[in-house]
Formats: sequence, structure tokens, C-alpha cells
Amino acid sequence: MSAEPKRLILNLFEMNCVSHITHGLWRLPGNNRQRFNDIDYWIELAQLLEAGGFDAVFLADVIGAYDVFRDGPETALREGLQIPSNDPLLVISAMAAVTKHLGFGVTFSTSYEPPFAFARRMSTLDHLTKGRMGWNIVTSYLPNAARNFGHADEIAHDHRYEIADEYLDVLYKLWEGSWDDDAVIADAENLVYTDPARVRYINHVGEHFSVAGPHLSEPSRQRTPVLFQATASRAGTAFAGKHAEVVFTGGPTAAGVVAGIQAMRDAAVTEGRAAEDIKFIVQAGIVVGRTEEEAAEKLRAYRELASVEGRLAHASLPFDPTAHPPEITVRQALTREGKTAAPGAGYLPQEQTVGDFLENIASSWDEQFFVVGTPTVVADAIESWLDDIGIDGINLRQYHSFGTAQDFIELVVPELRRRGRLRESYVDGETLRERIFGGSARLQAPHAATRYRNGANLGAPRLEIPARV
Amino acid sequence: MTRKPLHFNAFVMNTTSHIHHGQWRRPDAGQVDFNNVQLWIDLARLLEEAKFDAMFFADVSGLYGDSDADFDVYVREGLQIPSNDPTVLLGALAVSTSQIGLALTSNVVQSHPFHFARQISTLDHISNGRIAWNIVTGVQDNGARNFGLPQLTDHAERYEWAEEYVDVAYKLWEGSWDEGALLQDKESGVYADTSKIHKIYHEGKRYTVEGPHLPSPSPQRTPVLYQAGSSKSGRAFAAKNAEATFIIAPSPAVAAEQIAQTRALAVTYGRNPDDIKFFQGLSFVIGDTQEEAEAKAAEYETYVSVDGYLAHAAIVDASGRVYPPETLVKDVETNTMKGFLEWISQYITDREPVVGDLALLQSRNTRIVGTPEQIADEIERWQDAGVDGINVINWVIPGSFAEFADKVLPVLRDRGLAQRNYAEGPLRQKLFGEPRLNERHPAARYRGAFADAPVPE
Repeated sequence: MSAEPKRLILNLFEMNCVSHITHGLWRLPGNNRQRFNDIDYWIELAQLLEAGGFDAVFLADVIGAYDVFRDGPETALREGLQIPSNDPLLVISAMAAVTKHLGFGVTFSTSYEPPFAFARRMSTLDHLTKGRMGWNIVTSYLPNAARNFGHADEIAHDHRYEIADEYLDVLYKLWEGSWDDDAVIADAENLVYTDPARVRYINHVGEHFSVAGPHLSEPSRQRTPVLFQATASRAGTAFAGKHAEVVFTGGPTAAGVVAGIQAMRDAAVTEGRAAEDIKFIVQAGIVVGRTEEEAAEKLRAYRELASVEGRLAHASLPFDPTAHPPEITVRQALTREGKTAAPGAGYLPQEQTVGDFLENIASSWDEQFFVVGTPTVVADAIESWLDDIGIDGINLRQYHSFGTAQDFIELVVPELRRRGRLRESYVDGETLRERIFGGSARLQAPHAATRYRNGANLGAPRLEIPARV
Repeated sequence: MTRKPLHFNAFVMNTTSHIHHGQWRRPDAGQVDFNNVQLWIDLARLLEEAKFDAMFFADVSGLYGDSDADFDVYVREGLQIPSNDPTVLLGALAVSTSQIGLALTSNVVQSHPFHFARQISTLDHISNGRIAWNIVTGVQDNGARNFGLPQLTDHAERYEWAEEYVDVAYKLWEGSWDEGALLQDKESGVYADTSKIHKIYHEGKRYTVEGPHLPSPSPQRTPVLYQAGSSKSGRAFAAKNAEATFIIAPSPAVAAEQIAQTRALAVTYGRNPDDIKFFQGLSFVIGDTQEEAEAKAAEYETYVSVDGYLAHAAIVDASGRVYPPETLVKDVETNTMKGFLEWISQYITDREPVVGDLALLQSRNTRIVGTPEQIADEIERWQDAGVDGINVINWVIPGSFAEFADKVLPVLRDRGLAQRNYAEGPLRQKLFGEPRLNERHPAARYRGAFADAPVPE
């Protein structure tokens, strides 16, 4: 037995909308999800999480509507399924103003917005939060999102990662290379606020971006925010090996998750990093009660209001299984709708009956990283995820806001603390990176970002922007 | 006679040296701490206590000056670099206040309109309808080069770009969601009525945007629209789109002329003359006596950085170096210089003006020095010229605003020139009486416009 048990990274999984994942449950008595437009919702939540010892709130996001299912956004709109939804970046400073320790993992896509403005927003937030920012790197997957930003359709998956790689490169140059640490000297006597010799253009010219710099913000506590990435794909794995510090992963089977983790650790090693430079978090469903009966009763209430339609729309199903007799196969249903060649059809279990398929979708919450029971049962399960599967933390799925977090704080946190899986308190002034990794507030070599430190490896002294076709 | 209250904005920027360069060296200059959210929270509370209408954040997307030149002077001066994004700061201010308006500047180059429209709706939700947007198209080559352009887009074309940008935003804010679209019916499980939510299918020269808008309608839908351009195309844009414009006229007479022109132009766009409010930028040096005020002004001038004012006006040579103060203005060849030469020639007629004159004049430009009563008299002159509000330009944060609130606002209130309490409702309602844009505004035509819009191929 090792001396120190592995500590759990504890995040709450959130989104600035009504129905994030647990569709239909916004109707639960006392659920606050409808208040997401109201800043008080976010303040109360942030204060609750900080009082309860959470490491961070992890904010998902999409920039389009789910409109594949039934060829339109109607189901998503009826369900409040990630629409209406608000921008996640803008509630962070409000939460930061009422907390001291809580970290923030915020989702932002590399596919549609220019890197310069995003780099500055993150630096601003890292200043405002005194180093509590994390960024969940995504490349976006909704076709409607692409069409909101002038593309006829989704950018091909692997190409999105190529763009993302250059996007990150620009950000690293701005965050790590453009300013030296001691550039701001604020010398009133000699009228020198910043030493010009320690600030530089980045003059990035690449296939997708050209960016002059200099970065407008001075270096923040962490410079580069903690880099989260949500992925399980192959292109995503190579990307994670190079860039990610924390990977938000998952999968239908424990063996699949273990293999995915190993693949990403291998990818990190290929990039010259250490296998343990990446930590892994998964989405976890936890229904806890003081007794087994209480927990079971909660689960029953959740299941009763759960919306299967919401899940179908969320999954962007290319066909409508509710429109077919349960005994025909998925393949037959696809044929009847003329959708055998639709995007995503190839991934469906085509020989399953429509009835079984619907049944599986309805219960697919409960596959992995899902536990119902007393605090002891829950803590046992979490320990097994940490030690047997090898994850490092969870994004706690919410069935009820704020009930899920309150239950966890009241019932599970004390038990995990007893077992040495959670700290008793925060460390004052600690950045999010320090909290997760120990050590430095900054990225460490040989991470790709560090090669730009002190202005190394930046572009030419003059920006030469090639003519674009 | 009791006068109509003027509106007061606090003009600030998320940086060290915004307008009055060199003042950051003063011992009471809190702006050097701009990375700290507490500075802004404390200021927002102070301003709300004083019943300021809004806190107005300027912004840039790059450096001033020639993009291939050294940027030493800007960095040395702390001249809008380092500077942080205002957008993400506003959430903290929204939660720390409940009445004051929050205006942010955002350049059309820096964000795609779909993304930007969503950010604004989010802020308008969380501030309960207190957001204003200062629409800018940029003046900096470096700003353009940070966003993949070889240089600043041609002036007229920038405004054409802005026209399309606001058009996309208007469609999302005003047209995508009908009133009553949110049902929030727990019984049936229906959150929103899909028949009242529409894609916008915008197709234009620069943007193709499908929609629907992701946020539901916020209290104001479209934020209060500010604009500050003074060029011909800038003024036309303001006349058509702006609800408030920010001017820095050198005198009330010039202000009156500008205001009359823009109001007349607004009428040609089918708007009413008073659909646009005009905010004059002024800074104040306040004393209990005139002597004290003048002594303070002299003290402030000891902190003036000549280089800073020159650099801000882009009066630098091709290598990015500021011209020595004794350089004759007529010998300086920069794009911005012609306008300045005309301007300075009004003030210095007995000799050839030098660039040092320019800096000092800039620091004195639209500065009012005097007792609270004298300042109130001056402000009355601006009001008589047709100005609706004042953007109070600061020397130091928070001191300039605290002093204005303590000394000048009580006198203004006694004369009816400043509000004693906030009016009800969102920012637009406080300014114009209604929370939503009036039907004369070009955005209004998108209300209900997409209900039966055909799906394009």
C-alpha cells in the first residue's frame, strides 16, 4: 500500500443553460436550473462549491443548436436542451468576485473565433481570478455551429485538430513568449511603466492565422491557463499528448477507458513529456442518500422525469426511433427514413431492435462511473475508479441544482476526507495548476508552450502576411 | 431655473495609462492596479453610490502607431498596454452593483458577430439589462494585424463591415426569438415554444450566419448602442445606428454644430432627432477656490508625459520614436498630423507650433479647472450647446471620480443638472424611458421578420 492515497480532483459539471445532460429533470421540485440567466444562480453555486471544498466548476459549452435529430432544433428547444444557452466566460468574473479558491474550467472552441482576442480574455480572467483559470479545449462538433460561423458544414474532424494545433501555438506565443515576467517595473521616477526590451511581437504566420502581437495583457499568475481537453478520438489523442494537462475522457467500458488513458499517456511520452504529466477526469453520476432507500428513492424520482427525447436529440440521432415499431432493427428504421448514409449512421448498432436501442439509450446514464447508495458505497466506488481504473478526478453530473452538489458536500465529502481522498481545506493563494499538480503555477518544460519563453522561437522581426487566396 | 439632468458616465479603460498619460506616477493613482478585480468593484460601487449613469470602458485591439515600428514608447508609458479585456470583467461588476450601466467597447474585427451577440446577451441577462456596446471599427494597423489582416481596412469599408456586423447582431437579438417563446412549463416538460424561435439565415458580404440565437431574449435584447466616430462615414453610421455618441468637441460651439449635423442626419434615416444622446468627454480639476484649482492643475501638469500624448496621437517617426518636443509641427509627416496641425493653428497663431505644444494642449483639451460652482457653470454651457451627458475622463482612479462625486455632483444636483436617484428598469429605460429599441431604429425591422422565412438552399 502506498503511503498517500491518490487524491480526487473534484469538479462540478455545469453549463450556462437549463438542460445540460440530465434532460427532463429541470422540472424536479426545487431545481434551480431555470435561473441560469440570473447571476445570483452562479454566485450561490460558486459559494456553495467553495464552502464544500470543490476544486473547480467545469463549464461546458456549444455554439450551435442540436438540430440533427428530426432535422431541426424543435426537440432541443422544447427540452431546453442546451438552448437557450449563454456564454460561459462571462459568468466567471462574477463567481470569482465572491470566491477565493474555486477554480474555473471553461470550454472554448478553437474553430471559429480569432486567437488574439481569446488569449487576452483568458489572461484577463487569470488576472481577475489570481490564477484560477482552466480552459477546456474543444474543436466543436455541431453542424449548426459551423453554419453560425459561415461554414457550409462542419470542418472535417482531423482538420479541426490541425487548426487547433496552430491556434494553441499562437496562444502559447502570446501567453508565454511575448512578455517576460519582470517586464512591468512601474518606475514612476523614470517614467517607465514597462521595460520595452522585455516585450515583443510574436509575428506568427501560419496556414490558418497571422498574428502580430504583442500580447496586450501582462503575464498572469499561470500565464497559460490549465489546459483541459475533452476527447476520446485518435486525432484528439495525439493532440492531448502534446497539449493537454487534464483530459476529460470517458467511454462505455472500463477497459476502453483504461486503454484510452494509456494511449494518451503514450502520446505524451512520444512528445517527450512524462506519462503522468496528464491527469484524467471523467463525468460521474452519483446519487447519494443517508440510506440505500433514500438513494433509491432519489434515483426513482430522476428516472421518472428523465426525457428520452432529450437524450435522442442530444445524441444527434440521424433517425427517429420513436417513430418506428419496436421490433424492427435499427437498420430497417434507417432504410425506411432513407438515412442509411447519414452522418453517424455507421456508428449505430444496426442489428439491434429499435425497442432495445431505445431502452439502452434511456438507461445509458448508468453505464460507467455511476453509483447509487450510501456515502460508504459511493466512496468505495470512487476509490475503485481512482485506484483500479486509474482516473484522477470527476466532473460531477448534476441531476438537481443545487441538490446534487449539496448532497455530495454533505454526505460524500466528509467520507472522502476521512479516507484521505480530499483535502481538509484550500491552500491560500494557490493557483489551479498548483492545486492539481503541486509544483509550479506555470507550465513546465518540455511542454510545447514553454519553448517560447523569453521570446525564443518567435516569428521574424517583421510580420510578413502572405496574400490569401 | 431648474435644469434637465444630464447623464454622467465614468470613462475608464482596463489599463494603466488611458488618456492622461504620465498621471499613473501620482501616489494616488490606483489604475496601476488594474489587474486586480477589486479596484474595479470598488470603483463601480463608488460610482453607483454617486448615481453615475454608467461606467464606460474604452478598449483597443492592438498598439497605436506604425505597425512595423518599435513600440517602446507605448510600453514604457503603459499607454493602453498592458491592457485587459473589458468584456470578461463586467460580470464581476454586474454582481457588485444593481443600477449602474456597464458599457463596453468591442471592435468588429475581434469577434465573429454570432459569438459577440451571444456574449452581449449573456451580459445583459446577468446584469439585468444594464449593458451598452460602444461599436468601434479600430484605428490601429497593429490591431488589424492581430486578427490576420495585413493592415487596417480602409475607412469607408470598415463602416460597411460594421453595418453588416450590426445587422447580423440585430437579427439575432431582435428577430430570432419572439416574445413569449419561453414557456417553462414544468407540467408538460416544454421549455420553449419552437414556433416562436427562428433561424435568421443571414447571408452577406462577410458573414453567413444561420442561427437561431442561443440565448433567450435579455431585458434589453439589443444593448444600448454607443458610437464614437467623428468622420463622415462614422457620423453616418452613428446617425443610423447609435443611441448615444461620444464626442470630444473642443468647445460647446463645435459640439453644437456636430450635434445638429448628426441629429439632422438621423432624421434622414427615419429617426427622431432626440433618438441620439450626445456625451461630451471632459476632465476636471476641482478646487475649493479658483487658486486652489489652478495650483492643482499646475501640479497635475508636472506629471504630464509629453511622449505619452504624442504617442497616443501617433505622432511618431517611421521607427516608432516620438519626435522631440521642439520639432516644428509642420515638419512632421504622419497620417494623423494634418488634422492636428489645423487644430493647433487655432490656438497658436504668433509662432510656428511645435509638437511639445501639442502634448500640453492635448492634456488641457476639454479640461475644466475651477471650483464646483465654476465647473457647474461650464457644464451648463455644454448643456446649452445640446449635450445630453458628460463622459468624465479621469486623471487617477478612483480619486478623480470620488472628488467629482463629493464636490461637483452636489452642486449639479442643486441646479437640477444631475440625477438624485436612478430611474426604474434597464439602462435604456433609464435613458430613454423604454427598455427596448424604438420602432424607428433599423434593428426594429427584424422583429417578427423570420417567422416565415424560407430556408435557403
